[in-house]
Amino acid sequence: MSNWKQNLLPITTYVRIDVKRLFRDKVAIFFVFGFPLLFLVIFGSIFGGDNDISFRVGLLNQSDTKFAAEFEKQLQDNDVFNVDEEVNSLDDAKEKMNRSQLDATIILPDDFGVQKGEYPSGQATVLYSQSNQQAGQTLGTILEGTFKDINEKLAPSVEPFTVKTESTATKGLTQFDYTFSGILGFTLLSLGVFGPTTVFPRLKQRGVLRRYHMTTIKVWQYFTGNVLSNSIVGLIAVAIMFVVAFLFFDLKMRGDYFNLAAIIVLGTILLFGIGLAIGGWAKNENQAAPISQIVVLPMMFLSGVFFPTFLMPELLQNVTKFIPLTPIVESVRLIITEGATLLDLGPQLAIIFGWIVIVYILAFKLFRWE
Amino acid sequence: MAKTIVEVTNLTKTYDRKNVVDGISFSVKQGEIFGILGPNGAGKTTTLEMLEAMRPIDGGNATIDGIDVATHPYKIRKLIGVQPQTPAFEEKTKLTETLEIFSAAYGEKVDPMKFLRDVQLEEKAHAYPENLSGGQRQRFSIAVALVHGPKVFFLDEPTTGLDPQARRNLWDLVREVRDRGVTVIMTTHYMDEAELLCDRVAVMDEGKIIALDTPKNLIKDLLKKGFKKEQHVEQANLEDVFIDLTGKALRE
Repeated sequence: MSNWKQNLLPITTYVRIDVKRLFRDKVAIFFVFGFPLLFLVIFGSIFGGDNDISFRVGLLNQSDTKFAAEFEKQLQDNDVFNVDEEVNSLDDAKEKMNRSQLDATIILPDDFGVQKGEYPSGQATVLYSQSNQQAGQTLGTILEGTFKDINEKLAPSVEPFTVKTESTATKGLTQFDYTFSGILGFTLLSLGVFGPTTVFPRLKQRGVLRRYHMTTIKVWQYFTGNVLSNSIVGLIAVAIMFVVAFLFFDLKMRGDYFNLAAIIVLGTILLFGIGLAIGGWAKNENQAAPISQIVVLPMMFLSGVFFPTFLMPELLQNVTKFIPLTPIVESVRLIITEGATLLDLGPQLAIIFGWIVIVYILAFKLFRWE
Repeated sequence: MAKTIVEVTNLTKTYDRKNVVDGISFSVKQGEIFGILGPNGAGKTTTLEMLEAMRPIDGGNATIDGIDVATHPYKIRKLIGVQPQTPAFEEKTKLTETLEIFSAAYGEKVDPMKFLRDVQLEEKAHAYPENLSGGQRQRFSIAVALVHGPKVFFLDEPTTGLDPQARRNLWDLVREVRDRGVTVIMTTHYMDEAELLCDRVAVMDEGKIIALDTPKNLIKDLLKKGFKKEQHVEQANLEDVFIDLTGKALRE
């Protein structure tokens, strides 16, 4: 057998059998497939299949033009905007925004919709508090899009040079679509970190790893085998969740599956590396458990798995951006909800690759067979 | 005269400035069953682990088939098979699959059934290791240890905890392995086992080899010194009774 074939044989054999045996293990099946599906069903029922993402806004219409009245009515009918009828003054609005009862306030000034020459025109103001910057900006973008549509209807102009940017995110993005990527992130987290941090110390204590150590298998071969089999299992888990989400929760997938699969595999490599570093270092489960908790809990709460990161204070947002799980969840979310491709995900990929390098250097340095 | 396959000179292991293995030397000939005896803490397991390239050698040196253990651990691992004290395998993995993983770990492809046949575990091919009896697991572990065709086979207290039938079966297996030309080095606490099985034994105490010869010669030497055992007239012992009553067939 040629040299490289001989080097790959341990890996391919291990992967083939490792994937098979995971499907024989009821506990593993529950944690990898059942648990995230449970989450999916719970979150899915809470948010409902077609409950659009919505912003609670105050609307201050200071104009008495017909156009403004029409626009106000449209906003109230639109599912994206949840207009708070109790807000009647700027002070009301500010107070409610400070109490986070409102995401933002839309102000239509008194000259809004006044006929100027051929067309009505005007400028709406979106007011948001510092703590709600992201929501405010998103709202601004959505309004801009709406105005662009109106403008085009009013004045179909010929522009020699145009840039066509299509934002699909505003078209019927549901809360579920948004949460779904968080649940996918959680699945990869439990597969990547909870798995190896419990399995490796147990194998060590029983002397199973020592037995591998007695063979001529090398650490990199053992690592690669494990990473590959877990990536395959991760892809299967994600595929199952997609099927369930399509069938029962009307998920809208806007990106392509190749890009998604690439991120899932990269995410698994990174998260499994974290688990491998902890589980490979720990002599027993008692050593591994507290460390994996310390690593996992912040990731779970700060990476936008359960809470959107834009709801966090800016300072915290700057930190969470660099937590390993954040770029993974963000990438998955951008692919699903906005149809992003790997080319659009440069910053996220840079963070993911950076972490992969750090994590695997640690994992190789810290690994012990017994 | 068979050639020497394992050569150990002044082998030393030091923990906390205490030599747990204290400059021992011995050689093992090809095709021999070599026993290492001694009370707990005598340094038997540490000696084996140093020869298996699983533990750094602090002093002296050891060669297997002419290859230095300290400097070529990977070559050594290819040359030797090891039966650990308590064999453990990954769960939910069929015996055939476990054998495949281990042969692949050496970069080889084998027919797992052939190896299961050698240890009479053909019918258990699709069972999981965790569902085997103690004796079956020992036998399976031997099959795994020999999957890459090693020249030297190390066994660390292989029969501890086995019933008399399984013990005898394991002795037969070890002899078969030896008859295939594999050199066997084993530790044991059972003197009857060493006497029956081993061609030569080394007795260790406090890190040193205090006697090394064939079991027969060691007994002769003791008798020469005037040792007298309480006479007993029975030509059988309780184990013979046990085997007579329950038969030699394996139970599991």
